[in-house]
Amino acid sequence: MDGCLTLAGNIPAQSSSLAGEDESALIRRAQHGDRAAFDALVRLYDQQVLRLVLKMVQSPDEARDLYQEAFLKIYRSLSRFRFESRFSTWLYRVVMNVCFDHLRRQKARDEVQGVDSEDSDTDFFQTIADDQPGRDPERTLRASEIRRRIGRALARLGPRERMVFELRHFQGLKLRAIGELCGTSEETAKNSLFRATQKLRLQLGDLV
Amino acid sequence: MNCLQFDESIALYLYDELSEEQRAGFETHLAACAQCGARLEETRRLHRVLSERPSPQPTPELLVQCRAALDDALDRELAGVSWKSLFEQWASTLGAISRLPAAATLALVVLGFTLGWTLRPHSGAVRGGPGNATLSAMGDTDLNNMRINAISQVAPSPQNGEVRITVNAERQMTLEGSLDDPRIRQVLVEAVKGYDNPGIRHDSMEVLARQADEPPVRSALLYAIQNDPNAGVRLDALNAAAQRMEWCPELRQALLNTVEHDRNRGVRVAAIDFLADHADQATLPALERLATRDPDRYVRLKSVRAIRKLQGY
Repeated sequence: MDGCLTLAGNIPAQSSSLAGEDESALIRRAQHGDRAAFDALVRLYDQQVLRLVLKMVQSPDEARDLYQEAFLKIYRSLSRFRFESRFSTWLYRVVMNVCFDHLRRQKARDEVQGVDSEDSDTDFFQTIADDQPGRDPERTLRASEIRRRIGRALARLGPRERMVFELRHFQGLKLRAIGELCGTSEETAKNSLFRATQKLRLQLGDLV
Repeated sequence: MNCLQFDESIALYLYDELSEEQRAGFETHLAACAQCGARLEETRRLHRVLSERPSPQPTPELLVQCRAALDDALDRELAGVSWKSLFEQWASTLGAISRLPAAATLALVVLGFTLGWTLRPHSGAVRGGPGNATLSAMGDTDLNNMRINAISQVAPSPQNGEVRITVNAERQMTLEGSLDDPRIRQVLVEAVKGYDNPGIRHDSMEVLARQADEPPVRSALLYAIQNDPNAGVRLDALNAAAQRMEWCPELRQALLNTVEHDRNRGVRVAAIDFLADHADQATLPALERLATRDPDRYVRLKSVRAIRKLQGY
């Protein structure tokens, strides 16, 4: 699953006494209740996980909640990991399910409350400081508007469409890998990608 | 390759997801069709616009906060496991089965001093007589949350100063367990079918969706698709059933009923999309009716696309 290598990233250097211990040994120790081993596993993946969930949510608080929910689920179900696949694949599948469930809850909540993403005033990306403070103010304003429009268009996608598009376009995963991560088929992932692209074209057509 | 197929392949082409044969067909059509070429360029420009989206990086502070919060949550998790084990042993000994929201008849048995003392930090305490016996609680139960409807027996024991009280009561309680436990599943199924809070119905369905092919779950999902008063919950049920349930005549009929009768456009369109994903020719007549007669233009358009897909275009 080459696509997963992109997400897995490089194993960061460890300064703890568990440095150098291979991942399989850590997993086995964590499965037997070794808390330090589980903490070490978390450190191997949590930055990438946090980076991923930040793309799905509207605030750092929500990202923190999803991070916790994902790793608690991993902790509770770790005994069911049988080394039949790569650990990173299994882990990111749990993370994807958590993100997917969050997006569905958000969608249902918005519908119940009659909120259209058009009306939403929460746009996390608006709070990200422009990294070029000396830029032309007009260009800065336009760039900010484009970012807001993109955020809104993405928020209007269905949960599965949003996840597939995020993973394919922004993370660079192959559709086959996305299908496996999301517990669905490559064909379903393709259909979701097609629908997402159509919707984004409609929403952002005047910007292209 | 025709124009419709080209349009459906543009994203795959740009992401290099086409096979060699498909790519050859795509490029042949591209060379011959200026309109499709323009669509391809439009999508390329769309991708360039999307690159304006910033890629938020987790700050060191956020990472530290996340790790600290997880640490606390794991500590609480570990503390909860030991009480859960005690509760499970006790419940299996007494054969306790509880159902929500119906009232349950509980037999509260005052355990021996050692067990009661062990559970005391996590239970509500009821002081007895001078012997200071404590009343054990089940899970998170607090006697203050209990509404006692009747007391049918009070039986003191002269030997050890304990008392057995049989009550008929309604109380809030916390159930914990796996979805593989049919009791847990039954509670969730009843919540989906009848609970008046849409958030609870939604949350219950999310959990149940993992076992969408179990008969009671299947029945609950099909019921919710067609009968839940909340559109968000109907959409969730539809997504769960269509993505995780084996295709079957009951599911097909539920989707057809939805496309024809649901009062929410978003739910109807989602049902059309899922019908289109399954190559079931039996759905064609209904889709043809929608394509020609539905008052909603977008529904008519989606139905036309679904028909084309089913017919292999």
